[in-house]
Amino acid sequence: MAVLEIKDLHVSVEGTEILSGVNLSMEEGKVHAVMGPNGSGKSTLAKVLAGDENYEVTSGQILYKGQDLLEMAPEERAREGFFLGFQYPVEIPGVSNTYFLKAALNAVRKHQGLQEVDAMEFLELIKERAKTVKLDDSLLQRPVNEGFSGGEKKRNEIFQMAVLEPELCVLDETDSGLDIDALSAVADGVNLMRDGKRSFMVITHYQRLLNYIVPDEVHVLVNGRIVKSGDKHLAEELEASGYAAFDESAA
Amino acid sequence: MAAIAETRSDYRQEFEADSARRAGWLAPLQQRGIEAFESQGFPTRRQEAWRKVDLTPITQHHYPRVAEPGRVSSALTDKLGAFPGHRVVFVDGIYAPELSDLGSLPKGLTVGSLAEYADGAPERLTEVMGERVDIDAQPFIALNTGLFRDGAFVHVARGALVEQPVVIVHVATEAAQGHAVYPRTVTHVEAGAEARVIEQFVSPDEIEGLVVPVSEVHAGQDAIVDYHRLQEEGAAMRHIGGVHASAEGNAGCRVYSLASGAALSRVDYYADLEGEGVDLQLKGLYLTEGRQFSDQHTYVNHRVAHGTSSQVFRGILQGRSETTFDGLIRVFEGAEKTSAEQQNRNLLLDKMALSHSNPRLEIFNNDVVCTHGSTVGELDETALFYLRSRGVSQAEGKSLLTVAFANEVLENMRDERVSNYIRDRILDRLPGGENMRSSA
Ligand SMILES: Nc1ncnc2c1ncn2[C@@H]1O[C@H](COP(=O)(O)OP(=O)(O)O)[C@@H](O)[C@H]1O
Ligand SMILES: [Mg+2]
Repeated sequence: MAVLEIKDLHVSVEGTEILSGVNLSMEEGKVHAVMGPNGSGKSTLAKVLAGDENYEVTSGQILYKGQDLLEMAPEERAREGFFLGFQYPVEIPGVSNTYFLKAALNAVRKHQGLQEVDAMEFLELIKERAKTVKLDDSLLQRPVNEGFSGGEKKRNEIFQMAVLEPELCVLDETDSGLDIDALSAVADGVNLMRDGKRSFMVITHYQRLLNYIVPDEVHVLVNGRIVKSGDKHLAEELEASGYAAFDESAA
Repeated sequence: MAAIAETRSDYRQEFEADSARRAGWLAPLQQRGIEAFESQGFPTRRQEAWRKVDLTPITQHHYPRVAEPGRVSSALTDKLGAFPGHRVVFVDGIYAPELSDLGSLPKGLTVGSLAEYADGAPERLTEVMGERVDIDAQPFIALNTGLFRDGAFVHVARGALVEQPVVIVHVATEAAQGHAVYPRTVTHVEAGAEARVIEQFVSPDEIEGLVVPVSEVHAGQDAIVDYHRLQEEGAAMRHIGGVHASAEGNAGCRVYSLASGAALSRVDYYADLEGEGVDLQLKGLYLTEGRQFSDQHTYVNHRVAHGTSSQVFRGILQGRSETTFDGLIRVFEGAEKTSAEQQNRNLLLDKMALSHSNPRLEIFNNDVVCTHGSTVGELDETALFYLRSRGVSQAEGKSLLTVAFANEVLENMRDERVSNYIRDRILDRLPGGENMRSSA
């Protein structure tokens, strides 16, 4: 079954078209990589999937688990199992990481008809999940992302994903700015969660991450369109040849 | 002019009518108070410190002082129990023993009403009371000084450690409709002692009266004082108050303020660092909604060297409300090695709300570090989207961010009951914050 179907998606920001007819279909349990040069619209796609109202969908359709995603509020998408790991995670002074995550987890659980998580259970859960992504325990009580290094912020995104256990995870350049240790910690976090049912869209600039998270399909996004799709070897080709060839064909 | 002259004499007449029953030791102070008020009159908008305030509802007609305390409604009686502690309650300005709970005061703590000292007051009261408040600079402080009839006296003896807070509640009742109340509080924490005081102002929503309180807080050498002021009167009340904190060498003095009640709420906070090594914190939160007007002024005086002060004020504005923060740091000649900071931030939750911020520095000395900053802004949409993208509802996300905004004032409070209480009052005004309540 398709977990995500994007059909002829056109998106504008402040009157400028950024995505010009994106088509993409993901089967449940698969890992798709979306690659492309800077400014090609990768984050725009991710933000639209998450429901950011700064991005205007001018035409097209997105089905998530068969439902019209564009009709759902951002929080409904999350409660239905959608997750975006942000390229630039937001700092929220005054709100502790733990508190935030508990509010999020309870919102998801409530939606699923489950009871609120018990305080002790929750603490154990987050401790255990922090370990899987090698996130320093001391960051749990700190305000969300405040004063975190770039790598800590990215790990924190993966940590949140590990706690919330979503069904479709979109990771927007989670690898950029990470050293090799952080990169493998992030990749381990993702790989641990691959269970044949959970789906991932890994957005990246480089092929590097895909050595750790091996994709089922690779898409190349250039100038707001998917110009080529293929298997994992496409990523290697791109690494060798760059995006220049596609840029011309798209122009 | 004639109208103003008449208004003044109304207040003087009240003062004179009291003469017979006034305690002898208070007579000179109260005399000075009414004289100071008479010579100044009510402020006008031509005066810088009153530029933004519309005082006409107060100055147009006379608010006679409440003659007989009214009955306290059951809703307000419930409020009295908000904080466990040594509780002293004043109804319409008069001590109410039946509502107070001064059962088992620990050694070293005195809590009582000023009226008890009809025949004379001990030195530990007289040496503090009225000594520092500036009746010549602020007419309402002068008016209170001339017309208060009763008040609270809190004394902590040298070296005593008082664990439970002293809770002073000022209730205005139906009797305050169209009338004035003049609450007065004197807190004297002697050298090396430690105490917490919570002073709370409440009234029913529909009562339109005038509350003019003055609170004096003095921390002796090395003393530690946490003073909390919770101004939560009903929506129609007019509240014009003064707080005067003073601290001797190495004392730690923290003044926390919530101003959330009344149609008009004006508070002037004075703080004097009188000895070296004082650490003074002045932290305030004002919450306004509807057409509330809130006006907070601070005057932090570094009179001697090696003082540290920190002022943090935050405003959360809703509806068509309007606020002013006017904060002064004054560093006197000779007050070297002063470190003073002042920060005012305002969060506008509605488009029609309006906030003014006016930081001021008067520094007569080179060897100091002073910082100040002020901002007015809206909720961070990016942060709100981040929260929502994790499943938190829009309403809960707004509540979460709003409480987070207030946290800088709340998080270092030593009494969690007070910070939790204030957090809950913020949540009272926001939908979607049910899960965040201290009881949840
Ligand atoms: N919020 C925004 N406001 C204005 N322009 C934007 C915004 N987001 C993206 N853009 C523009 O859209 C284009 C694609 O950006 P983005 O989706 O971030 O690309 P990528 O993630 O592939 O680097 C860029 O030209 C960028 O400047
Ligand atoms: Mg991007």
